[in-house]
Amino acid sequence: MSDSLRGPAAAGAFSRRTLLVATLAGTAALAAGCTGGAGAGIDAVTPAQADQLVAQVAVQAALVTAFDRALSASPQLAGTAAGLAAQARVQLERLRAAVPDADASASATSGSAVPLAAAGAREYLRAEIARAADAHATACPGFSGARAALLGSIAAGLRGQAGQLA
Amino acid sequence: MADDDSPPARSTAPATAEDAALQDALAAAHAAVWGYGVVGAALPVRDRGPVDDARAAHRDVRDELIALLDSRGTDPVETRAAYALPFPVLSAIDAAVLAVTLEDGVASAWTWVLDQATERATREMGVSVLTATELRAVGWRAAAGRTPVTSAFPGLPQP
Repeated sequence: MSDSLRGPAAAGAFSRRTLLVATLAGTAALAAGCTGGAGAGIDAVTPAQADQLVAQVAVQAALVTAFDRALSASPQLAGTAAGLAAQARVQLERLRAAVPDADASASATSGSAVPLAAAGAREYLRAEIARAADAHATACPGFSGARAALLGSIAAGLRGQAGQLA
Repeated sequence: MADDDSPPARSTAPATAEDAALQDALAAAHAAVWGYGVVGAALPVRDRGPVDDARAAHRDVRDELIALLDSRGTDPVETRAAYALPFPVLSAIDAAVLAVTLEDGVASAWTWVLDQATERATREMGVSVLTATELRAVGWRAAAGRTPVTSAFPGLPQP
């Protein structure tokens, strides 16, 4: 008897993904419980972790700003990297949703006022993506539960993005 | 005294949620090692470099997981005798799609490890493996003609 190549992995993936969706969707409510002192197990966040999450939101918000800046400077890049920019925005939205206190979530930074040259836009953006990936990958092991999974996943996704601009 | 000299109790059942997730990741690594054999067989020899690299990477992770689980007194899951392909692999495109399937399965397993891990070292390993998996997946998605080739959330449900 053979086992489906997708058998163990796919069956497990379904249950894992389902559970992750539920876990991530319940992040805000869970965090609210934490602030009230309720024991929240593996997904509980300390005040320091909450601050760190806000910092990661700021990192991602800065990346979204960098995308806007680079794509504005280079029409060619805007034509090829618009999809990457959209992914960065979706990542930001999900990170913001993971912050226990949504009001504390950082907004986008204003970025540099110095105009970006079209010729350097691609390398600038690649470096900014790599910087954000580094930050999320470094922060990830300091978390547990769904937030660790989210930060690790975003870090990996950004590495893939950076490779497209190399 | 006799008790002190006894080997630690071993079990195929993981003692912790982290170990259970690592067992899932090991099962995914076994499947990837096997599956890349199929991927390589469907490609010309000159195009098999990335296949060999990917297979070696999954072997390394597999061996690291086996050693880790063994050190924790849990018997690592073994590779299956055979696997059924999810679709016929008859072309280079089929091979690339299968490689994407393998890498996505591994990514899913490792995001679950990140979710379940209690050890910081395990999460550090998780980020590293997940990143390497996504980098390979990007290349295979391109080879398969898929768009986008990048993923916002490797291993997690896509928005």
